[in-house]
Amino acid sequence: MSTDFIETLRRRMPTGSIPISKALLGTYILVALAAPIIAPQNPYDLLQIRGWEASAAPGTIGGDGYIYWLGTDGLGRDIVSTILYGLRISLLVSIVSTAIAALVGVTAGVVAAYFGGWVDALVMRIVDLQLSLPTILVALIAIVTLGPGIDRIILAIIIVQWATYARVTRAVALSEIGKSYLDAVRLLRLPKRRILLRHVMPNSIAPALTLIPIELGHAIALEATLSFLGLGVPIDKPSLGSTVAAGFQYLMTGQYWISLFPGLALLGLIAAINFVGEDTRSKLDPRSRSL
Amino acid sequence: MTKDITQKPLLELKKLTISYRSRSQTRPVLRNVDLSLRHGEILGLIGESGAGKSTVGNAIIGLLAPEFVQTSGSILFKGRALEAMDEQERDALRCRRIAAIFQDHTMSLDPLMSIGAQLTEAIRAACPDLSGKQTRGRSIELLTRVGIESPRERYHSYPHQLSGGQRQRVVIAIALSGTPDIIVADEPTSALDATIQKQILQLLRELVAETGVSIILVTHDMGVISEIADTVVVMRDGNVVEQGSTATLLDHPVEPYTRDLLAAVPRLRISSGKRADPAFAGANNASGDDDEEPAKRAAILVVSGVTKAFGRTSFGWSRKPRKLALQDISLELEPGAITGVVGESGSGKSTLGRIIAGLEIACEGEIVIDGAHVDVTRRRQPGGMLGRVQMIFQDPAMSLNPRLPIGDTLAESVRFGSAPSMDERLAINVIMDRLGLPLTFLTRYPHQLSGGQKQRVCIARALLAKPRIIIADEPTSALDVSVQAEIVELLGQAVSQDGISMLFISHDLALVQALCSSIYIFQNGSVVDGGSPEFIFGRSTNAYTRCLIDARPERFTI
Repeated sequence: MSTDFIETLRRRMPTGSIPISKALLGTYILVALAAPIIAPQNPYDLLQIRGWEASAAPGTIGGDGYIYWLGTDGLGRDIVSTILYGLRISLLVSIVSTAIAALVGVTAGVVAAYFGGWVDALVMRIVDLQLSLPTILVALIAIVTLGPGIDRIILAIIIVQWATYARVTRAVALSEIGKSYLDAVRLLRLPKRRILLRHVMPNSIAPALTLIPIELGHAIALEATLSFLGLGVPIDKPSLGSTVAAGFQYLMTGQYWISLFPGLALLGLIAAINFVGEDTRSKLDPRSRSL
Repeated sequence: MTKDITQKPLLELKKLTISYRSRSQTRPVLRNVDLSLRHGEILGLIGESGAGKSTVGNAIIGLLAPEFVQTSGSILFKGRALEAMDEQERDALRCRRIAAIFQDHTMSLDPLMSIGAQLTEAIRAACPDLSGKQTRGRSIELLTRVGIESPRERYHSYPHQLSGGQRQRVVIAIALSGTPDIIVADEPTSALDATIQKQILQLLRELVAETGVSIILVTHDMGVISEIADTVVVMRDGNVVEQGSTATLLDHPVEPYTRDLLAAVPRLRISSGKRADPAFAGANNASGDDDEEPAKRAAILVVSGVTKAFGRTSFGWSRKPRKLALQDISLELEPGAITGVVGESGSGKSTLGRIIAGLEIACEGEIVIDGAHVDVTRRRQPGGMLGRVQMIFQDPAMSLNPRLPIGDTLAESVRFGSAPSMDERLAINVIMDRLGLPLTFLTRYPHQLSGGQKQRVCIARALLAKPRIIIADEPTSALDVSVQAEIVELLGQAVSQDGISMLFISHDLALVQALCSSIYIFQNGSVVDGGSPEFIFGRSTNAYTRCLIDARPERFTI
């Protein structure tokens, strides 16, 4: 789940990995959307779970003739279905939290740059404080304070991620505010909200946009990490991370499939998002285009 | 100009064609450029932006970006084609025999190295067999030569400790270090004040006379050409329009383009000043307290005792000595007239403009606009100046929101200006028409417009807000000469048609003379001279005013 590893991998990957990653990411998203239709079992529906077929090895044929291609977990849930439904949770959490974090961070950065003085000092010191701590620590503190639940996880990821957007956006906004078109707008006595939303923000948002694809990958990894540590999504709504965690205790007894297959799915997803994200970032960023 | 005409040329360009090559297209940027440079000659390359003059310079120095390819023609140095040499020989030639001076003196020196170290480095590269002591001696010699005072102490100075003019002198010293045959100077004085420009040009002239070096001077400024060039090459869109000796070309231009270019240069008229001006009589003997004089009409803007200091932070723990940006400034603006503020960089003229507009605060002082008192020491004063004063800024590229179509920018100005109009569309159309802007521009974005067009849009924006006062802060400095004339004319019309008053901030005496009905001269944050144009240019005895007037190229002074 270490994104450093993914980044090293990405640097060494041949250029052909981009189309493959795009196809892979597309498949992931399609599969996640279609999960209720294509999944053989609904792992959230207790009535469909067969406790008597728990920890079945991959390829086991169930009572009704259904083949558990990837086996079942300790509660008897079909691993294929768990992965499909887990994907939905992982993607939902990461997309929602990244979107909100970007919005909050960009707003904070623009406001700090425009008002300056103590507003700027306050916002930026919080940002400094947060960026000086390891992300996982910040997330853990947030989760411990907020309590468990999907919405809390989303909130925790937002708390972790907004600071990066704020810092990047503030730097750009400061240089935009020095330009004379903003002086002209101030001379017109436009309402502050209008100045910020119509003039400062659209011109300062580009670097933050280039961060989004990368942060999306981070969000998925963070959610999985928190779930793996048992602080994430509740056990009855398993995400990929919590499924890996749940299978952990069975590894000792040789029931590798419960952790391995969700783990592989997670690895593929994070890798695909990172490759596509990096590609999008370099296309959005005019500076890297010239290199 | 008594040069040996039969002498063989030092450098020749023969049918030089250079193309810009990108993945999608190949576009010529220079077409069949012919020119020749003799020993000890100063050749001026003049043209407006995009003429290709810098490309010629860079092609000679060998600093073309890789996308620029020499497609045909040749560059001959002492009769030998550069492209026929191998790379090593060509590089050695460019390193030893051709030196360069660039426009931006803040960028051409390494900020982390003392100027002595940079000069020594250049000398070592040119003459590796000199001993350390000799190298140092040569550096001091060069610094003395380019007119750096007390060179022994200055040797250890860092670039930021020198003024702009001194920095450019050091750059010239570095260019001279290898005793080159040719110096390519790309806009060497464009970033400098007029008085400093004059000194630097004089220095170049002396160096040519002394060392016999030849100079290729790339510039957009006819004044610079008229001051020092022996021959001129006029360029436009990558073509040579006309070339010849400076005297002939400036006096008897053949091509219409050259004529237009010359006609667009603002000229300073020095009259012998017969008419006395009662409003400003005696303003010169005291230092700037001309607000005592009775004004002809009730002034629309009265600025009194405005002082501004820099060097304190909002926390108040930086105890740096306070630098006065403005010192007890008092001036008045007549309604429906253009008042000029002239000064060199750092004189505080722009700061004053921003304070009047309400964009900055002052430490002391008072401003009365249209009878209403405004406390300039407090920020965001309700009912303050914001709104009644609009500005036109120097750089049109930065004065328009790049992400808003022109129409939206203008609509905002109508809606939030001091007289919101019911019919936005009509108001905009009328003003666009008046300023000669096609209505199709309304849906365009700023980057799709030229500099002059953008500046017109900025004028439209300022006018649409229906201000009482417009402050124009160097509105033509970033524009080509031919465009400059149009913009000045539009500003004059705007004032006379709408009854607006204008404060015109500029460093260009000729422009101010042509536009303004009264003029204030700024130096180091104070008003040193003021009066009508007739007084300032005819009878003023103020030493600084005389100095500014003398810095003007003589040819463009009538």
